[in-house]
Amino acid sequence: MALLYGLLWRLLLLLVHINRALVVWLRVRLRGWKRRVWERAMAGLLLPVALAGFPDHQKTTNQNPDANTSPGTVKRLACRRSRLLSDGRSLEKLPVHIGLLVTEEEPSYTDIANLVVWCMAVGISYVSVYDNHGMFRKNNSRLLEEIVRQQQDLLGGDGSKCNVEFLSNGADKHHVISCRPTVKVLSPEDGKQSIVQAARQLCRSVENKEKGSKDISVSMLDVLLRESRNVPDPELVVKFGPVDSTLGFLPWHIRLTEFIYCRDLLTETLGFSLSAWLSPGGYWTKVE
Amino acid sequence: MSWIREGELNLLERISANILKAGPMPKHVAFIMDGNRRFAQKKNMERQEGHMQGFNKLAETLRWCKHLNIREVTVYAFSIENFKRSKDEVDGLMELARQKFEKLLEERENLEKHGVCIRVLGDLNMLPLDLQQLIAKAVLGTKAHNKCFLNVCFAYTSRYEITNAVREMAWGVEQGLIKASDVSEPLLSACLYSNKSPNPDLLIRTSGEVRLSDFLLWQTSHSCLVFQSVLWPEYSFWNLCEAILQYQLNHASIQKARELHREHQALQQLEADRACAAEHLQSHGNGKPASGQRRREALLQYTACREERIQDFLEALKRKRDSFFNDLWSAGVSA
Repeated sequence: MALLYGLLWRLLLLLVHINRALVVWLRVRLRGWKRRVWERAMAGLLLPVALAGFPDHQKTTNQNPDANTSPGTVKRLACRRSRLLSDGRSLEKLPVHIGLLVTEEEPSYTDIANLVVWCMAVGISYVSVYDNHGMFRKNNSRLLEEIVRQQQDLLGGDGSKCNVEFLSNGADKHHVISCRPTVKVLSPEDGKQSIVQAARQLCRSVENKEKGSKDISVSMLDVLLRESRNVPDPELVVKFGPVDSTLGFLPWHIRLTEFIYCRDLLTETLGFSLSAWLSPGGYWTKVE
Repeated sequence: MSWIREGELNLLERISANILKAGPMPKHVAFIMDGNRRFAQKKNMERQEGHMQGFNKLAETLRWCKHLNIREVTVYAFSIENFKRSKDEVDGLMELARQKFEKLLEERENLEKHGVCIRVLGDLNMLPLDLQQLIAKAVLGTKAHNKCFLNVCFAYTSRYEITNAVREMAWGVEQGLIKASDVSEPLLSACLYSNKSPNPDLLIRTSGEVRLSDFLLWQTSHSCLVFQSVLWPEYSFWNLCEAILQYQLNHASIQKARELHREHQALQQLEADRACAAEHLQSHGNGKPASGQRRREALLQYTACREERIQDFLEALKRKRDSFFNDLWSAGVSA
């Protein structure tokens, strides 16, 4: 009997995977078609859309059909540039700080850089990039190069206003160029470990009789956790990749953060998801 | 209405449960039971009625969890932020809590039969005293049960919980039980209100909101997060199955991430111990560099001392927390 249930379970998982593959295929095929067709296709599949991994809320403005397949780099880049600017204009209210949480095993640096540059171009002040292996932090020079390159490609001369600041625990150097927008590269050390360090600092001051244990308050801890970062809490975190977890991303700071799940590292997907969520009546405009 | 629902699953539910149980199952599920007010609005009821329905749904969900062998459930009943709501609503919720905890105490035998242990997590001193006393009775009365665990977060926010844990560690330092250098991730976890529970495997939030709202931020760092758009009072067995399936699809990658984090954390602890042991050697040494053998011995000794210190501190913390509930209970009895 247990064997039968085991087999049925494997079958169920297989069905879910097939469902997801179908959704991805359909999404590519139906891009540019009316939403009704999409919804009908989804209804035809037995499992709910949520399991298929596509964002639930699809109240969106016009979708630009993907024009990226035309040859000729100049024309393509010009297209992307104008689309970036129109994306920015169509978004109602931008988050001040967005987090890009990458859960993929081997993310493409080009794709990440693309997303970062898109966010900056669209007008988001702070962009945090995170992966739970600390890979971005370890290879931050490579990421920096990619970002600068993408910026030059896409924004041409305007790109000089970029500021790429790499968050560190004080050990590394800060590459600060100018003010906004700012890119922060985060790793798991910036999460629980920084809370532990702040706790240690407070305990040391108690040990040195500089304060009592009863003096420790939420705001005190908050100030410590913010002092070395100096950025607002992320209003929005976009999670890329297959894992439905924050994987240690800034636990203290995500108190009121909204999460969007994106399956792939494409700016089209990000733009689409963002506009759906930022449209009037979208959830993120509500206050807790 | 009761906290415990009796009754078996129907045939289809039972078959689905058995299929799911063939895969990895979450041992601890956390719920943010959101949507009571929207449900009340939708059905043209009073808000209070919406909250009542929400409680009933909780009891039903616990029944499903029992059938799915999910032994531990944590729920977000009342946030410290909710104190900002209208006085009427807050008073209504406190009254509802009073009724529910009184009902709980009436059902003592049933709870014992099912082995349900109730824990209440939060800054309980923010609540009215009589409610605190009821809570203390409920917690102490079910303390010995160990078949399944229900953690109710009441007057809770995660930031307050983390800050409280830091305060407790600072208290330990003040009392001379531990040193500031002993502060570590596992120690902080052991000072949280939820220290008796493992971290949740799955967090479910209903009503379509996609925030954590200051709930278990520390504990859910490597949990599967599932956001469902159904309103809490309308939650069904199939919604729960959908969430569990989501967990199962993520299980392998999350386990891997947890393992990575654990290894990293162990490495950091080892390095910290090494640094402290080296410092200790230097200050007590005779100026000559210590041999490898000497350094290893010093490290082992330092680690053993640290672990003993921490054990003593955690025991003292446990006594402090137990006496908080015992004092409340005896004050309630004598009143």
